[in-house]
Amino acid sequence: MVKKTLEIYSVELSGTKDIDQTDKGDGKEKYRGLKNCFEPKKNHQKEELKKELDLDDHKLSIKELEKKYGTNIITGLSSTQAAELLAQNGPNALTPPKETPEIIKFLKQMVGGFSILLWIGAILCWIAYGIQYSMNKSSSLDNAYLGCVLALVVILTGIFAYYQEAKSTNIMATFNKMIPQQALVIRDSEKKTIPAEQLVVGDIVEIKGGDRIPADIRLLSVQGCKVDNSSLTGESEPQARSSEFTHDNALETKNIGFYSTTCLEVSTSPVGTATGMVINTGDRTIIGQIASLASGVGNEKTPIAIEIEHFVHIVGGVAISIGILFFIIAVSLKYHVLDSIIFLIGIIVANVPEGLLATVTVTLSLTAKRMAKKNCLVKNLEAVETLGSTSIICSDKTGTLTQNRMTVAHLWFDNQIFIADTSEDHSNQVFDQSSGTWASLSKIITLCNRAEFRPGQESVPIMKRVVVGDASETALLKFSEVILGDVMEIRKRNHKVAEIPFNSTNKFQLSIHKTDDPNDKRFLLVMKGAPERILEKCSTIMVNGQEQPLDKSTAEAFHTAYMELGGLGERVLGFCHLYLPADEFPESYSFDVDTMNFPTSNLCFVGLLSMIDPPRSTVPDAVTKCRSAGIKVIMVTGDHPITAKAIAKSVGIISANSETVEDIAKRLHIAVEQVNKRDAKAAVVTGTELKDMSPEQLDELLTNYSEIVFARTSPQQKLIIVEGCQRQNAVVAVTGDGVNDSPALKKADIGIAMGIAGSDAAKNAADMVLLDDNFASIVTGVEEGRLIFDNLKKTIAYTLTKNIAELCPFLIYIIVGLPLPIGTITILFIDLGTDIIPSIALAYEKAESDIMNRKPRHKKKDRLVNQQLAIYSYLHIGLMQAVGAFVVYFTVYAQEGFKPSILADLRVEWENGIVNDLEDSYGQQWTWYQRKYLEWTGYTAFFVGIMVQQIADVLIRKTRRNSIFQQGLFRNKVIWLGIASQIIIALILSYGLGSVTALNFTMLRPQYWFVAVPYAILIWVYDEVRKLFIRLYPGSWWDKNMYY
Amino acid sequence: MSQAEGGVVTSAFILLFYLVFYGFLTAMFTLTMWVMLQTVSDHTPKYQDRLTTPGLMIRPKTENLDVIVNVSDTESWDQHVQKLNKFLEPYNDSIQAQKNDVCRPGRYYEQPDNGVLNYPKRACQFNRTQLGDCSGIGDPTHYGYSTGQPCVFIKMNRVINFYAGANQSMNVTCVGKRDEDAENLGHFVMFPANGSIDLMYFPYYGKKFHVNYTQPLVAVKFLNVTPNVEVNVECRINAANIATDDERDKFAGRVAFKLRINKT
Repeated sequence: MVKKTLEIYSVELSGTKDIDQTDKGDGKEKYRGLKNCFEPKKNHQKEELKKELDLDDHKLSIKELEKKYGTNIITGLSSTQAAELLAQNGPNALTPPKETPEIIKFLKQMVGGFSILLWIGAILCWIAYGIQYSMNKSSSLDNAYLGCVLALVVILTGIFAYYQEAKSTNIMATFNKMIPQQALVIRDSEKKTIPAEQLVVGDIVEIKGGDRIPADIRLLSVQGCKVDNSSLTGESEPQARSSEFTHDNALETKNIGFYSTTCLEVSTSPVGTATGMVINTGDRTIIGQIASLASGVGNEKTPIAIEIEHFVHIVGGVAISIGILFFIIAVSLKYHVLDSIIFLIGIIVANVPEGLLATVTVTLSLTAKRMAKKNCLVKNLEAVETLGSTSIICSDKTGTLTQNRMTVAHLWFDNQIFIADTSEDHSNQVFDQSSGTWASLSKIITLCNRAEFRPGQESVPIMKRVVVGDASETALLKFSEVILGDVMEIRKRNHKVAEIPFNSTNKFQLSIHKTDDPNDKRFLLVMKGAPERILEKCSTIMVNGQEQPLDKSTAEAFHTAYMELGGLGERVLGFCHLYLPADEFPESYSFDVDTMNFPTSNLCFVGLLSMIDPPRSTVPDAVTKCRSAGIKVIMVTGDHPITAKAIAKSVGIISANSETVEDIAKRLHIAVEQVNKRDAKAAVVTGTELKDMSPEQLDELLTNYSEIVFARTSPQQKLIIVEGCQRQNAVVAVTGDGVNDSPALKKADIGIAMGIAGSDAAKNAADMVLLDDNFASIVTGVEEGRLIFDNLKKTIAYTLTKNIAELCPFLIYIIVGLPLPIGTITILFIDLGTDIIPSIALAYEKAESDIMNRKPRHKKKDRLVNQQLAIYSYLHIGLMQAVGAFVVYFTVYAQEGFKPSILADLRVEWENGIVNDLEDSYGQQWTWYQRKYLEWTGYTAFFVGIMVQQIADVLIRKTRRNSIFQQGLFRNKVIWLGIASQIIIALILSYGLGSVTALNFTMLRPQYWFVAVPYAILIWVYDEVRKLFIRLYPGSWWDKNMYY
Repeated sequence: MSQAEGGVVTSAFILLFYLVFYGFLTAMFTLTMWVMLQTVSDHTPKYQDRLTTPGLMIRPKTENLDVIVNVSDTESWDQHVQKLNKFLEPYNDSIQAQKNDVCRPGRYYEQPDNGVLNYPKRACQFNRTQLGDCSGIGDPTHYGYSTGQPCVFIKMNRVINFYAGANQSMNVTCVGKRDEDAENLGHFVMFPANGSIDLMYFPYYGKKFHVNYTQPLVAVKFLNVTPNVEVNVECRINAANIATDDERDKFAGRVAFKLRINKT
């Protein structure tokens, strides 16, 4: 195994040849994998893909191409031609996935959830009015008016929810449009910069290093070009591009550049640009086709959507069954059918928490905002919670877990391994820099390096500067800049007289410099490359600044170090130098790199240096947090298993004391087959192994190992892994950045795209975008998601409670015949007025205990609204509220002259407009309007009674298990804002709008505001007792039945 | 303990819990209601803010307050007559003389407690004979219903401790609502004369202590209503402290009803 590593990691710098080999080896396989995963999709999509495979532009000569596309590679297209083609083929941009039309989204809000029930209520109102009107032309408009109010409520809450959704989607839209791409194109024989969207087939474009390729192009003239095809193929190594046709398959040939891939570098000589002809634009590009295929993968319902649906079913079921039951009771009690319909409306309105769905939307968007601040941009509001229920995260390695840049990790000189700081800012390089060997080594690192900073970045921190050069050289450049200071200046002082760039046959890079020591006229030859090749060329080794002959023991030490560093999954480079004797190589000596008129053997070996893409410093902590939160973190990477394993170990995806089957075999010196697979906790599975696995074997793998790393996987295999995880009933989060990840992102319960490295296709397919590409942000997302689930529970419990207090009046009104204690409109004022802000305020509640220390919730068992919650809210607190509110109601009536005893069965007379001399308990006589006004006062009293007790309710809902005092009464200030809003709204309704008769509010005597206070206190005490017993007797019947 | 047994025990616990819980809630409700009722006295309501203006009502009370008399059809008005007979029975002079005092007209009949808490109150006589032609005593025309000259009785709602008229005399007047109503209404006579209500019937002390209180009445006998048309009549009380212009309460200090005499 280790031997193999050496082979791979000794291929350095521009190791294009080997990469080509791997490419040829599994390139076809890759594509087949892609095809396979789309096989079950619709047929015509497959056809499209096939058509794409027939692309043969790479086989054509330039002349043939010019003819085919009617263009000229010198003059380009004419503007008129281009305009025609643009009109014909459309802009060169990916069609965003089909969005649901806005009107459909809007209508969905209008009929979703409880809206249907309210529409039924409204229609019943109009029917009731219709009946009344047909019987008596001058009947009151009350019912028609109530119907309109209900319809208005549905429409307004619908508009509100739609607006909230739209607002959060907008964040995404603006984000997408941040960077308009430009392209340099030759048209009418002139070079022009135009928006990439306007490119058409046949355009001749020029590309510089660092540009994103604006369309699928056939390369015409290019030198030393490398592209990053990772977003297309998942291959993270740069790939060489030239103008030659090298492979039958369009995906493999070197002379095609793909849309949205990045051109990393173009050799500066002779022109510094690559020229290409656009052969496909927009959706017809390879990437466009893959992206459109991704939209074929169905979007599953989010867990929170399922929960809310479940909750709506419960509440709707209760509303309808109570409604129908009492309709039957009312009819059998000889009420008019008309009256019974009106009762039915009242029951529906009382049962439906009109404001709740809007509240949930607000709550989710509040969390989404909070998460956006922490670099998690949520595209789909409901995804906010999904992250909280996630039980498996399939994470990318590069960029997500790691910093996505090669960094010097270890040095070996003076027979010693030194550790370099790999943190994000490289702040403290603490290894011993006093040795003379380091002086020499640092000189080689600095001089034998072709990478350069882009000019004009002096103010940018070193680690953030843009570098022209490949990853390893960049790492070395930054490393030396941090330690030595101005590298460019040092290079200037040590003038370079000759240079051999790296090539895969030599596997070394060499340059010869004049030194900056004015007394030393010797030339310095510096060389770096694959360690074993460098060692071969050396006869001495530098130890503590002194040259010593390279004997067997030092060679052994070298090998040990090399093995060790290679075993860490690091890329190792060897460094050596030679001072050319001044007599043989005088100052005027002319070096010729082709004839190599200078020595390249018997050099002095100075040291080794190893590099790795180091983990982000926040990741190990984040992985630990995921672990303790019961979330399984699976690494899925295209990288080599050794590197993957090393990174997995360093971030804790494979914990320090767990072993793979191979580790055990090595430790016990037995064959891998002999190891008991149950002993291993961790597994490293390569793509090749995965390919041969049956789904059952994959299931077994996923269940048996807690720590899994998938290496050398193609992005297509990610989809297979995701499906495997979902078969375990897990909620799966997937991170990805490439276009080919988009099916997996879609398939995942929550797809997380990288904001920086991510392709547009990935971002489109994802539910969430990590703005900083940082795994740790996922953990904050998980935390927020879990918190919001808990808090939504509290919000719903709070909101459901008063439904009973609103419902009881109707039931008692029907059965006992009291004057109606609370009107439908008044109920709406509670549901959409006083209760709204407190229920939103509960979203600001802090977690009761460490939510990151418990298992993810079980999709099917841990429901948002469970039996306990419904029973506790409805039959405990809700009933207390009802009783309390009735006391206020009875108080108002009794003190005005109607004692409770007289109220029973009074309904018919009370409501009869002809009876204008109804006697009260004292023999006084009341006109209809006088009674009506008293009835409204009763509504107001009942309303205030509920409001006062809802204050207690919102306070007790702060916690589900802990005492309020443990939670802190004042930690969540928004709750108090909510309580204040409750009181203020009630005061305004009673005293401000008390004279508006249509609203049925009256000015209530101040003392009535306090009648329900004993009940509010009772609610609070009762809940504290409940929580106390839950804490005292965990697992008891009390705990099981009272904890929601 | 087996699982089934455990389930039974838990269910028993839960049942017991709900018994205790709801028992407690009932007790709490009873307690608070009892405390609340302590704040309410037996003889006067705590607040009377809704009853500042007493309402007016008519007898016979009909559905939709319309007095429709088909002169030839006895049945159409017989039920009104029955109701009126019953309504006026307590006003029979014999009963009044037996139970109530003869009071001095023109002044309130105040009966302060004079130290004796909730001392039972006496009521003033309102004799049926004061209703003259509308008294229905030995009346072959049945309050005029059989001749198409019906009597309608107007009464003012009782309000405890209300000094109607503010020490000035008051009376009930009736008019046709619109001009054509006034024309169709024709002549009418009122009993007692001028439709006046005497101050001696006030204040009212509540049904518990003012047991035999007799509500004063004003009878209106419509003499020549234009037959076969609906006439909208509005009667109101003219008293210094009773407003009759409340827009929302159509019965505050007034009463409107429809009168229709059908003759063939």
